[in-house]
Amino acid sequence: MKILELTKVRKSFGGIKAVEDFSLSVEEGEILGLIGPNGAGKSTLFNCIAGVFPPTSGEIVFRGEKINNQRPWDLCRKGLARTFQIVKPFATRSVLYNVMVGAFATTDKRAEAERRALEVLRHLHMEDRKDMRAGNLTIADRKRLEIAKALATRPKLLLLDEVMAGLRPTEVDEMVAIIKRLREGGMTIFVIEHIMRAIMALSDRIAVLHFGTKIAEGPPHEMAHDERVVKAYLGEEYGAA
Amino acid sequence: MNPSLVRKLPLVIAAAAALALPFVVTSPTYLHILILLYLYAYLTTSWNIVGGFAGVLPLGHATFVGIGAYTSTVLSLQYGISPWIGMLVGALLSSLVGVLIGLPTFKMRGAYFALATIAFAEGIRVMVENIDYLGPFQLNGPRGLQIPPLKTGLASFMFATKEPYYYIILVMLAGVIALTYAISRSKLGYYLVAGGEEPEAAQALGINVARAKLIAMAMSSFLTAFAGTFWAQFTLYIHPKSVMSLDISFEIAFIALIGGRGSIAGPLLGALLLRPVSDFSRIYFGDKLPGLHLIIFGVVLILVMLYQPRGLQEPLTRIYNRVMDRMCGGREAAA
Repeated sequence: MKILELTKVRKSFGGIKAVEDFSLSVEEGEILGLIGPNGAGKSTLFNCIAGVFPPTSGEIVFRGEKINNQRPWDLCRKGLARTFQIVKPFATRSVLYNVMVGAFATTDKRAEAERRALEVLRHLHMEDRKDMRAGNLTIADRKRLEIAKALATRPKLLLLDEVMAGLRPTEVDEMVAIIKRLREGGMTIFVIEHIMRAIMALSDRIAVLHFGTKIAEGPPHEMAHDERVVKAYLGEEYGAA
Repeated sequence: MNPSLVRKLPLVIAAAAALALPFVVTSPTYLHILILLYLYAYLTTSWNIVGGFAGVLPLGHATFVGIGAYTSTVLSLQYGISPWIGMLVGALLSSLVGVLIGLPTFKMRGAYFALATIAFAEGIRVMVENIDYLGPFQLNGPRGLQIPPLKTGLASFMFATKEPYYYIILVMLAGVIALTYAISRSKLGYYLVAGGEEPEAAQALGINVARAKLIAMAMSSFLTAFAGTFWAQFTLYIHPKSVMSLDISFEIAFIALIGGRGSIAGPLLGALLLRPVSDFSRIYFGDKLPGLHLIIFGVVLILVMLYQPRGLQEPLTRIYNRVMDRMCGGREAAA
C-alpha cells in the first residue's frame, strides 16, 4: 500500500524552480532513499511534504488524504514526523524534556509522555544521557536526539533529512543499524542522505534528484552504475566511464 | 525522616513565616513595603507565563493592571457592583485585550515584539488620559478615580488596616505560584518552552506555537488584571500614571530578568531583591536623588546579564539542591 504519493509536485520561489514535476510514491514499510547533489531541491521537497510551505502545484497524498495545504503540526498529529538537516534541539532543556515535547503530540498526560520518552531513549541507547542539557550533546547525539524527538510523536512515516552528515564512520554504522531496526518495527522511512555507503546499505529503493527533477529511480546497485546519476554527481566528462 | 519531606521543609517554613510576619512587623510602613513586594512578585509571576515560558519579552503588562483597576473601580463607583465581581470582569476583559494584542504581535520576533507591546500599552494609556468618558463609563482622564472608603470589610474589599491586604495578596501570590508550577509541568508548559526556543522544530513535533502563545497570553493578562483591582482597593485612588505607566511594565521585566525568566523561583527572588532597593532608596534618597533605584536596577541587571544570564535563581537553586542533597544523604545514612 502506498503511504505517501507525490504527483507532479512543483515548487518555485519567485522565478526559481526548486522542484519540478516530481512524482514518487513511498510504499508502506519500505526505506526510500533520496539523493542528489547540493542544491538539487531535496530539503525543499521535504519541506513541502512536511507542510512548512505548500507546493506551487501538484498533489501530495498521505495515507489517502490530500495534504497540500496542511500545517506541520496537523501533519505531525496525523503520523508524519521529520527531522531537520540543521539540528534544532531545545538547547537549554534536558534530553528527556526534548523527547517529552514530542511525546506530548499523542498524549496529554505527563506521566505517559515521560514513559514514552524513556522508551524511545532506551531504544536509541541514549537513556544514560537523559538528564544532560541538549545543548551540551555531541553532534552524533544531537542527530540521534533529533530522531528521538520525531519518534516520540509515534509517526507512521518518518522523514530523515541528513541525519548522518558530520558523523564518524562508526557512528554512521550505528545510525544505519538504528534506522534498520525502526523499519523492522514497521515504520516507513523516507531518507535524504549524502553518505553513499549509508544510503546504499539502507535503502530498498533510491530516487535521484538533480536540478529539481527526478533523473532516476531504482534499487541501490542500479543507481550506483546509472550513467545519468554518475554524470549528475561527477560531471559530463565522467559520463562515459 | 522521608527525604521528600526534608525537601519540602524550607517551603513550609517560608509559608509559616509569611503567615506570621504581620504579628512581628507592626509598622504600617514596613507592612506596606511587604505588600508591594508580594504584589510585584505576583505581577512578575503572572508575566512569566508568557514572558518566561513562551520566551518572548512583553513590555506592556501595565495595560492589564490598568484594565483590572479601572474595570472594578468603574463598576463599583457607578453601579455599586462588588469589587470582587469587578475583579473577575476586569480579568476577562483584560484577557480579551491580551489576545487581541497577541494576535498581530506574536508573529514578530525579539525586540520587535517588545516594542509592539510597548506601543499598545502606551497607546491605551494616552487614550485613557485624554478621555473623561468611555461610552457610559466615567474615567476622568488624567485626574483618575477616587474610591470613597465608605464601608470597610471583606465584602467591599476595603480595610482600615494593612493586615487584611497583606493576607489577600499573600494568598493571591501563593495561588499564582502554584498555578505556574502546574503549568510548567503540563503539556502547555512544554509547548511554550519548545515554541519559544525553536519554533520550527516545535511545529514539526505537532505544536501550534501561535495558539500556545495566545493561551499563555490570555492566562497572563487575566491574572495580571487581578493585581490591578487589588492595587485600586489598596490605594483607593487610581489614575493612568499610577496603574498604566511604562514604569510598571519595566519594573516587572527588571524583576523577571534579574530573578530568572521562565523559572518558578525567579520572579519571587527578583522581587525580594529589587523591591526593598526601590522602596528604601525612595525613603532615604527620594528628595536628593529621585530615581536612584532605577540606576541601581540597571547596574544589577548588567551584572546579572554578564555573569548569570539565566538569572539569580540558577546559582541559588544549585546551592539549595546541594544543601538538600547533603541533608537528605546524611539522614539516610543515619537511618
